[in-house]
Amino acid sequence: MTLSPGETVLEALLRAGVETPHSCRAGQCQCCMLRAIEGAPPEESQRGLTEAQKALGFFLPCICRPTAPMKIVPPDDAGAPQEATIRAIEPLSEDVVRLRIETENFAYRPGQFLELIAEPGLSRHYSLASCPEEDPFLEMHVRLHPNGRMSRRLSADLRAGDKLHIAGPRGTCFYEGVAADQPLTLIGAGTGLAPLYGVLRDALRQGHRGPIRLYHGARDSKGLYLTDELQAFARARDFTYIPATLDTGGDVATLALAAEAPRAAHTAFFLCGGENLVKRLKRDLFMAGASMKAIRSDAFTPAG
Amino acid sequence: MSSLYERLGGEAAVNAAVELFYRKVLADGRIARFFDGVDMENQIAKQKSFLTMAFGGPNSYTGLDMRNAHKRLVAKGLNDSHVDAVIENLDSTLRTLGVPEKEVREVAAIANSVRDDVLCR
Ligand code: FES
Repeated sequence: MTLSPGETVLEALLRAGVETPHSCRAGQCQCCMLRAIEGAPPEESQRGLTEAQKALGFFLPCICRPTAPMKIVPPDDAGAPQEATIRAIEPLSEDVVRLRIETENFAYRPGQFLELIAEPGLSRHYSLASCPEEDPFLEMHVRLHPNGRMSRRLSADLRAGDKLHIAGPRGTCFYEGVAADQPLTLIGAGTGLAPLYGVLRDALRQGHRGPIRLYHGARDSKGLYLTDELQAFARARDFTYIPATLDTGGDVATLALAAEAPRAAHTAFFLCGGENLVKRLKRDLFMAGASMKAIRSDAFTPAG
Repeated sequence: MSSLYERLGGEAAVNAAVELFYRKVLADGRIARFFDGVDMENQIAKQKSFLTMAFGGPNSYTGLDMRNAHKRLVAKGLNDSHVDAVIENLDSTLRTLGVPEKEVREVAAIANSVRDDVLCR
């Protein structure tokens, strides 16, 4: 598609009859957001977006007058599935397994998520705990549900060497737009630890200097995992690991909010876990003074 | 003379005001329920469009947009008292940010001018 002189991308799309959501046409409401997968959108067209969105090529077509060709896709486009080989499936706790797979050319940021396709009609989203710079594999943490179809496939049928497909990555829950000396707080429950673990390692690798705190919530101590690795980080860096288990009276949201609210205005937050937990934390931290732009989150709905 | 939007500080002023304004609105028991279950990021972007409009800045809002955006809320009981509460929160946001009285009143007058559209009258 060729733009007329002075035309915005939104105007060109509408002229060509492409149905695309929009409202204010002035770069305010962000409902027209699209993503460039080739070519860089002009800086002006990324006004008001988060650093993570900018890094992924998101832009606002209603204020975008490109000067060079771009290839654009809808904001939630996951791309074509590609083949991956299972390298390991091993237990992390009583009901969480670590899944490692290998694939060619999968560019991602730790903390993003992908779609894992075991067979046509059986796919789930999982967050990435691995770091592309350090790990030759993609790592996900999968909670096994007794009646879940994917859980059964992973625990009974699939083994190292088997093939499956993945698509993505997606999501903006990764280390970007955080100042190196800013306090960084990671709060998650259950397998919400996976993206947080990825973000934590990415932050350390990129030389984050500010204090880092990680709250991990679980029903009981058997639900905690990666505790040795996290305790080792805590001995080596300015990093505090705060496990919170319900059976010892520690609800992770209550605990984290009480400690974090007083310093919320200056902290960068990453929140990962079930929808209710993430919603509550996001709202309460915002009300305590955290800037919405400093809160990144990834909420999941459980599905086996 | 420069526009009200420019006098207030343009987009930087909108950015400074938007989160503070939304925090006040969410903490206001008279109107908080209208925001139940809404996505906060999305809502903040909408607050930003609203403030840009209220500051007299660049926007292409039409009465029809305003009506569509608020139809659901009018069905839930949105009325003049709630619009008053929103404008009150806007006033107090601007005062917190040190905006002079004259401009506060100008902003309130612009916000007031969309009252009928917001209430779908
Ligand atoms: S239409 Fe509102 S930001 Fe583009």
